[in-house]
Amino acid sequence: MATIKIIDPVTRIEGHMSVEVTIDRKRVTDARCTGTMFRGFETILNGRQPTDAPVITQRICGVCPIAHGMASVSALDSLSGFKIPDNGRILRNLTLGANFIQSHILHFYFLAAPDFVAGPAMAPWTPAWDGDVRLPANDSIASHLVPAIEARRRAHEMGAVFGGRMPTAHSFIPGGFTAVPTQTDLDKFRSQLGWLLDFITNTYVPDVQKLRSFYSDYLSIGTGYGNLMAFGVFDLDASGSRKLFRRGLVEGGRKGATGSLNLSRITESVTNSWYDDRTNNLSPAKGKTVPLYPKKDAYSWLKAPRYNGKPFEVGPLARMWVNGDYQGGISVLDRHLARALETQKLARAMQGWLEQLNLGAPVYSEQRVRTAGSGVGLTEAARGALGHWVSTSGGKITNYQIITPTCWNASPRVGGSDGEDDDDDRGDGSRQTLGPMERALVGTPVQDPAKPIEVLRVIHSFDPCLSCAVHIMRPKRAPMVLNAGMATGLGVGVPRC
Amino acid sequence: MIISRRQFLTYCTASAALLGLDWSGLKSLEKALAATNGPTVIWLSGTACTGCTVSLANRVAAVDPVTDVGDLLINHINLVYHSTLMGAAGDQAVSSLKTAAAGSFVLVVEGGIPTAFGGNTCTLYYDRGKAVTALDAVNSLASRSLANLAVGTCASFGGMASASPNPTGVKSLAAATGKPAINIPGCPTHPDWVVGTIALLLAGQVPALDAHGRPAVFFEGPGRNVHEQCPRNGMTEAATFGQVGCLRGLGCHGPETQAECPSRQWNNNTNWCVGANSVCLGCTESGFPDAFSPFYSR
Repeated sequence: MATIKIIDPVTRIEGHMSVEVTIDRKRVTDARCTGTMFRGFETILNGRQPTDAPVITQRICGVCPIAHGMASVSALDSLSGFKIPDNGRILRNLTLGANFIQSHILHFYFLAAPDFVAGPAMAPWTPAWDGDVRLPANDSIASHLVPAIEARRRAHEMGAVFGGRMPTAHSFIPGGFTAVPTQTDLDKFRSQLGWLLDFITNTYVPDVQKLRSFYSDYLSIGTGYGNLMAFGVFDLDASGSRKLFRRGLVEGGRKGATGSLNLSRITESVTNSWYDDRTNNLSPAKGKTVPLYPKKDAYSWLKAPRYNGKPFEVGPLARMWVNGDYQGGISVLDRHLARALETQKLARAMQGWLEQLNLGAPVYSEQRVRTAGSGVGLTEAARGALGHWVSTSGGKITNYQIITPTCWNASPRVGGSDGEDDDDDRGDGSRQTLGPMERALVGTPVQDPAKPIEVLRVIHSFDPCLSCAVHIMRPKRAPMVLNAGMATGLGVGVPRC
Repeated sequence: MIISRRQFLTYCTASAALLGLDWSGLKSLEKALAATNGPTVIWLSGTACTGCTVSLANRVAAVDPVTDVGDLLINHINLVYHSTLMGAAGDQAVSSLKTAAAGSFVLVVEGGIPTAFGGNTCTLYYDRGKAVTALDAVNSLASRSLANLAVGTCASFGGMASASPNPTGVKSLAAATGKPAINIPGCPTHPDWVVGTIALLLAGQVPALDAHGRPAVFFEGPGRNVHEQCPRNGMTEAATFGQVGCLRGLGCHGPETQAECPSRQWNNNTNWCVGANSVCLGCTESGFPDAFSPFYSR
């Protein structure tokens, strides 16, 4: 007989999330991911000066603020047709890179590893669901918690060399960067980076590889659709045509078949979200947000971004696959391995970028943000593809739309009736398609439905960031009390992500 | 390195004046630190971004011995509930919370508290068949706690989520509960301000607060005005971004801001906003962000 388990809160993620899983004969047969907070950033941005956007959007998320800063200044650069001096481009990359490193280390040791390794026998690590601990209690991964605290902190100290302060850094401005590097800065940055590369190579990567030998079954759990997408990040030249991680997509887990990405094919579906179906399948550049609650079959405030109508997974595994850098598969452990290997590749690249800084050359070019127009900023947060779409008129923001990585990954299902067996395994959009994380959960074996640690392992492999993703609310089982007043009140500004 | 309680005490002695600790306070601190688990702390997130937790993790003491967030968690406080850091999830996490709430505890809140729409735009956990709102959770806990700490500008004053038009009716911890709170603002807050305040509480002392409920030692007086302390005070103004100079002409809000950023610096003494030629945003002030927006004057 099927059991329905609600996990609320889902802990060891950024933000507020719950998940409802149906478990039948010790396997997950259905999953609904629900985010439980909404703030309305896009509404807050409307009517403000465009240059406020990089400051405000960094407050969406304290784990990946730098990525929002990068996306926001890129959108304003694109709006205004700015050319960024090489130093400005490199300083942005180095600061964003520092935050990727801190985020990945934070994620593995503090958010994900406790699903596999028993933490210290005290709060906040204990109690925890402990049904399937396979590593010995004195294993070195647990003992690396303390050096990982230092590593994560050092990555932020490295980012602050040019960023000024971490986690939020306001050296990102349209037209370039504010910090003027000195030889002392370079030496500080280089010294932290060397220490970190040593930690990544000799501790982080080996720890994840060790996990693989104890939990090899997780190389075939949490597989999902195999549709992977990357917006690309870390421009290697002024035009951005060369990047450390290229833009592109992979469908159905087919290696070597990386396709190019056409922005006009991104739409957002609302069939199972609490929005008016007349706004279904709009492009983010022309997005409309008309809440409708209650609504039959809807269970989420998250819209469902789709590419060519299909669900796509984003994140380090997607970046590494698209770039041809990862030779493994698609699973819980593959996500962790790709994340670790990406950290190493990035840290090595950053050593080269540091030497490309030209002391004394400009970091910013004096320019004015265009008072009317529109722009797009595409980049990557540590946890996946991030896009900001901005429109201005009369020197003010008139529309600001954000699609975050967790919006892709934790999106609700799309289309069809809410039947038992109509999941679309092929992910081709022809019938009801689950969101990528929901799809990855289906099939997960669960030993004890009262303590479904296996479900957490799948969710954590995506490194969800719910403050970014914003909003889904309680499923139909326990409908949230909303009235028409709320729908009206939020009408202008419920963020789609 | 995880340090001992003794080393932490040595640190507090060395920086007693900075923390506002007197001799009797140090004695009480010693006694508090001798207790096995430290005080129980329940840390709830409202309309937060987790930036203040991340910033707390950047803690490293300015003087020997080194003390960081691991030391804080392992040796000094019993953090039974923190959704980003805790091992437990779902019903097990809720059970930890309820057990802790039945005893004595310190309540820490990160993020503001949305009050519009019955508080339903931020629910924290599932209990007895329904989702519990942040508003209900803090109202139930704030009246029974030993102390209420509002960590970050959102919990202290409403912050970014309460910016106009305040779509979800976000209020500060004190305004949402009607209970007194110690406000430790900053967007994000500085880890030393949080740890310093906790050290005072461990010592059985209530820190002196300024008119905005902030620990006076970190925020009050002319010596804490960012512009007055700024090493660039009196320098030629930068004509544009990417130049070293006084940033007043670009919109720097240092003159309207009380904080010790120029002297304490951030990220283990690495830098601060103005050090990277980026303007002070006024992020420790009760009016942040609207009182300072637009942030740039060019």
